[in-house]
Amino acid sequence: MAHIPDGVLSAPVLIAGGVASAVLLGIAVRRLDYDRVPQAAVLAAVFFVASLVHIPIGPTSVHPLLGGLMGLVLGWAAVPAIAVALLLQAVFFGFGGLTVLGVNVFNMAVPALLMAALFRPALRRETRPRVVFALGAAAGGVTVVLTAALVCAALAASGSEYVPALGIVLLSYGPLAVVEAVVTGAAVTLLLRVKPELLAVGGVVDA
Amino acid sequence: MLVFAASPAHAHKLKVFAAPVGAQIEGSAYFVGGGPARGARVVVETTGGQPLVTLQADEEGRFAYSATMRADQVIVVDAGDGHSARFTIAAGDLPESVAPPPGMPAPAAGVPASPVAAAQAGVPLEDLVGQAVARQVRPLREQLNAYEDQVRLRDIMGGIGYILGIAGLTMWFRSRRREGAGG
Repeated sequence: MAHIPDGVLSAPVLIAGGVASAVLLGIAVRRLDYDRVPQAAVLAAVFFVASLVHIPIGPTSVHPLLGGLMGLVLGWAAVPAIAVALLLQAVFFGFGGLTVLGVNVFNMAVPALLMAALFRPALRRETRPRVVFALGAAAGGVTVVLTAALVCAALAASGSEYVPALGIVLLSYGPLAVVEAVVTGAAVTLLLRVKPELLAVGGVVDA
Repeated sequence: MLVFAASPAHAHKLKVFAAPVGAQIEGSAYFVGGGPARGARVVVETTGGQPLVTLQADEEGRFAYSATMRADQVIVVDAGDGHSARFTIAAGDLPESVAPPPGMPAPAAGVPASPVAAAQAGVPLEDLVGQAVARQVRPLREQLNAYEDQVRLRDIMGGIGYILGIAGLTMWFRSRRREGAGG
């Protein structure tokens, strides 16, 4: 559902999303720490494939978004990683439309950047596994909710006929937020144990 | 476990398939990797975007309508939650008994389009054969359509290859710049 297809959103929303994503991408590329490129590529590849993993939850099926994890590990580098992965998903899998790419990148990148700004400083200082898990889980869960809210906002801004269905869309994200929280928490805890420098190095995100 | 057995209400890609059987066009809307698009709104448009018919899919995501003119028509399905999909029916797939769109000349009478028609000197038989063939071919078309939906290993590997390639290019670009600055 983070993949909005072509022909759903109105032109102003598409243009606004495209411009906003281009600006974010510009800032991200300018601030890019080149030592982060391999990590960004690996996470982009994981994110690219994760969209194929269908998790049946209740009456719906969802797939992992991993925006929180990308934000925590990559900071600003998450933006190009998300943009590249979403572009390739659109081209190879037909998930999400090409004209909607800007909006879809925006919906994924902004929560990731917010999580980076909110949780990275604390995560850098923290060594207790439980606290690290909690921080990662919070970032993972909140990212899903924020992305869902942005998707709904984009739909609502495009036409009032989508408003009745938005409640269902938001509800279906609830279980995913829980799954994503656990996955992100576990991933961050693992990183802390085996490769703490992944979370510690890199430029400070002051988004 | 009962909860998990329930069919998904929405996955992330809506698809629509339709094919004519005679002048009747039957189709279905469904989510890739998920269930049917229950009660989705179906709008049939001309290629110019002018609406012709508005329908609603049934509980199994199926819908049907009669083609009113022999012209390319686009079936647009909207699930109402941000999913939409389109499918085009080519004019050539519709039987010749359907009236051409206004402004287009009707096929010249007396010049049968095929040898069968010529032999029988009657159009209805040709329509009947066309219908029978359409009915036979339909499962094949559906299968082909479903085959297209599948994400295959080469797509996945291709995407990962692109990501690694872009990363490699970025690193190369950077190392070249650095060398330039250093020397």
